Amino acid sequence: MPVIVIASPKGGAGKSTTAILLATELALAGARTVLFDCDPNRSVSIWASRKKLPKNIEFINDVGESEIIRAIKHHDTDGKIVIVDLEGVASRLVSRAISQADLVITPMRGTTLDATIGARALALVAEEEEALGREIRHAVVFTMTRAIRSNQHKGIEVSLKGQGVDVIDPPLMERAAYSALFEFGGNLRDLPPQGNMEGAISNAIEFARAVYQRLAEPVEAAA
Amino acid sequence: MSEQQPFSVDIGKLRTAAKPEATSQVIQTSDVAGERLGFVNRAPKGRGGRQPSPRTGQVHAKTLPHVAEEISAEAKRRGVVQGVLIEEAWALYCHQNGLETGG
Ligand SMILES: Nc1ncnc2c1ncn2[C@@H]1O[C@H](COP(=O)(O)OP(=O)(O)OP(=O)(O)O)[C@@H](O)[C@H]1O
Ligand SMILES: [Mg+2]
Repeated sequence: MPVIVIASPKGGAGKSTTAILLATELALAGARTVLFDCDPNRSVSIWASRKKLPKNIEFINDVGESEIIRAIKHHDTDGKIVIVDLEGVASRLVSRAISQADLVITPMRGTTLDATIGARALALVAEEEEALGREIRHAVVFTMTRAIRSNQHKGIEVSLKGQGVDVIDPPLMERAAYSALFEFGGNLRDLPPQGNMEGAISNAIEFARAVYQRLAEPVEAAA
Repeated sequence: MSEQQPFSVDIGKLRTAAKPEATSQVIQTSDVAGERLGFVNRAPKGRGGRQPSPRTGQVHAKTLPHVAEEISAEAKRRGVVQGVLIEEAWALYCHQNGLETGG
């Protein structure tokens, strides 16, 4: 079943937030999800420890580079969606996780720094596709996006699309509710009100739906 | 808050590719591809935790009570073991008296 790897060597790009939103929204949409925290800083574990895990979510932590491939394979079974959150560094753990991915998502803020460092994840996917002789779908999601996008952000988006990079629409907007997940745990529906909750929830649903559509499209045969 | 209907996932529609097996050759191929782009081994090496102390020597020093108390208080204040203060005092003594000391 699909394996989604969230990867960017840029710290603070929004990987863990993306992983948690995706797991919680897909779970609400009826999918059984398995969320891996492979970051020694344990952001997702902090979220998981706050509250009883929502229905349909299984949580796994403390997976190092020597176990990652087997651990993903173990959970890559019928009816489950595996989501892997990684540390914001360029490590062998990242390249090994990508070897098992159906979809790699690179979150980035609309800044030159995030885009430049995030591009290393795109390059890695291309390198692994070549080395392993299989296609690995890849997409970028902009995170912490403001309603009015900066020229820098717009320029990066145009440039990525021009290079044929799949940019997920919608981006993840900057929402107080998203950072509150680390404080309260659970999913967005469980949170005490934080700013524009309706906006936060509908953005998360639309994002998860856009990812789901990518998982539901036919996979091209390996080259 | 309005009730927003989450979409629903149709498990039957999910597509997945066959992934390469976890053979040492596949792992190595992936590692080499990663290393070319600077994605290198960052797993912690060896055992973590406190390094063993090199302070294996021991002195047997009875002192006047105020000296013992002052050494103890100073070591606590600096967050070091009392042996560190004795090492420093010994280094000073050697320096003053033109004696050789190791370390
Ligand atoms: N869309 C968003 N809206 C509001 N806050 C956000 C959003 N995305 C991320 N944040 C906040 O930004 C910070 C960094 O996000 P996150 O931890 O998801 O990044 P990361 O890429 O996982 O970082 P690391 O590389 O350290 O693992 C967190 O405090 C998080 O709450
Ligand atoms: Mg993180």
